[in-house]
Amino acid sequence: MQVISIGQTALPHSRELYFAGAACEFETSSSELVRLLERLSTPANASRSGRFSMRVAVDELSSEPAGTPHFRGLHHVVIASFGSANVFVFDILRRRLSATVSGTLARDYRFWKEKLIPIAHGVLGAAMGLVPVHCACLESEGEGLLIAGMSGAGKSTLSVALAEGGFNYVSDDWTYISRHDDCLLAHGTSAPVKLLPDAVKHFQNLQEHSLQISMNGELAYEVDIADVFHAQVERNCEPRWLIFLERMQRRGGEFVPMSSAETRSYLDSCIERLPRQLSEAAAMREQTIESVALLPCWCLQYGGSPQFAANLLWEFVAERRAEVCA
Amino acid sequence: MMNESCPHPDLLRRFVATPYVFTKGDGLNRICVESNDLEIAWSVRHSYIARTQRSKAGGLYCKLIRDRTAPADGSEVSVVSDGNLRVLHRGSGTILIHDLEKSELLGFICPNVTAQELISSLIPALLDLKS
Repeated sequence: MQVISIGQTALPHSRELYFAGAACEFETSSSELVRLLERLSTPANASRSGRFSMRVAVDELSSEPAGTPHFRGLHHVVIASFGSANVFVFDILRRRLSATVSGTLARDYRFWKEKLIPIAHGVLGAAMGLVPVHCACLESEGEGLLIAGMSGAGKSTLSVALAEGGFNYVSDDWTYISRHDDCLLAHGTSAPVKLLPDAVKHFQNLQEHSLQISMNGELAYEVDIADVFHAQVERNCEPRWLIFLERMQRRGGEFVPMSSAETRSYLDSCIERLPRQLSEAAAMREQTIESVALLPCWCLQYGGSPQFAANLLWEFVAERRAEVCA
Repeated sequence: MMNESCPHPDLLRRFVATPYVFTKGDGLNRICVESNDLEIAWSVRHSYIARTQRSKAGGLYCKLIRDRTAPADGSEVSVVSDGNLRVLHRGSGTILIHDLEKSELLGFICPNVTAQELISSLIPALLDLKS
C-alpha cells in the first residue's frame, strides 16, 4: 500500500495566487508547477471573494498523464481522480484542496487551465461566496450581459458571435457570481469555449480544429477563444442584464420582459444541491442568487444564426443605454 | 417559458439514499452506520463494535455507498493524507474518506469489493494508519 502524506512532504514553493476573484494560498514541491499556475493567476483583486488553500505534492518519478476522470462526493468532501497517480481531495468546509500528481501532470498546462482550475471553482466556490450560474457572460464598456438558457439554446455560439463582433468575452457556459457591498461581480474561469459539432457551419475557422470528447462525454470543439477567434477576454465584470435565450423555428427575434420570480425559478433550477453539512455555504449562496434574480431580465426568443442573434443583442444594449441617457 | 425543468443529475452521487441505518451507544461513543447496502451496513457495524471492545476506539459516523456504476479497474491500494483528511483508493472506483476531526468515515465501494474485504482490509488500513 502506497501512503502519501502531503502534510509530511516538503512543499517549499509557496505563492499567493488569484483565480476568478478568489485568493489561493498555494504550496507545492514543484517549482515548475508554481510557474505554470502563475501564468494562470489573475492580478490581485481588492474585491476578491474568498480564500482557499491548495497543496500539491508532485511525484517527479511518475509520468502518468491525466487519465479518465472519476468524481465522487459525500458531505463536505469531493474526490476527483484522473488515474491512480493524480488524486485531488477537496475539503469544502476547510476550503482546502490537497493533491498528489505525477510530474507529467504537473507540467500539463492545458489540464490546469481547462480542467483543474474550473473544477476547483465549481467545487469550492460555494464556500467562498462564488455562485456558479449556468450562463455565458459578455462585457462591453464595463457592463456585463449574462446569457442563460437551456442546453442547446445557443449560449456558446452566441457568445462567440458577440465576441467576434466586439463584446469582451468572460465565459460561455458557467459564470461565477460574487456579491460585494450590494454589487454583483461576474467572474469567468480559464475554461475553453465549448462548441458542438454543428457550430462549424457558423464559424469557418473551426474547420482547422478537431473535435474532442469533453469531460461530460460530449463530442465538441474545445478551443481558446482568444487564440481561435481573436476575442478580447475579460476576467470579470459587473452584470447589468440577464437574457434568457429561447430558440424558435421561424427567423426573427423578440425580447419579452421576465419577472424576478421567473428569473429566480431558472436560477434555482440550475444550481447544484448542497448537502446539509454545507448549510452555511448554502445560506451565503442564497443571498447572491436573490441579488441576481433582481437584475433586469428578458427572454430573447429568436430564430436564425448566432450572428443574427448577436445583432439583436447589440441593438438591445444600445437601446438600454439610450434609455439611461434620455 | 420557465416551466421546463433543468434536472441536475447527482454526478457526485452525494444524495444516494441510505436506508440501512444501524446505531449503537450515545454521545462521544455513538456508532452510526448508514448504507444503501444491507450487507455493508451490518458488517461494518459488527466489526466496529468488536473493534471498540478491543481497543476502546471512540464513536464513529459511517456513510458507505455501494457504488454500482463505479469502475472496477484495479486492486492497488493507496492513501493520500493531509491534515484531518485521509483518503484511501482501491483502484479508482473504491474510495474511503476518514475525517479524523469529525470522526466520520465516508465512502464509495465498487461492485467487486466485498463487505468482507472492506471490514478486514480496507477500513482497518485507513483507521489504523499512523500519522
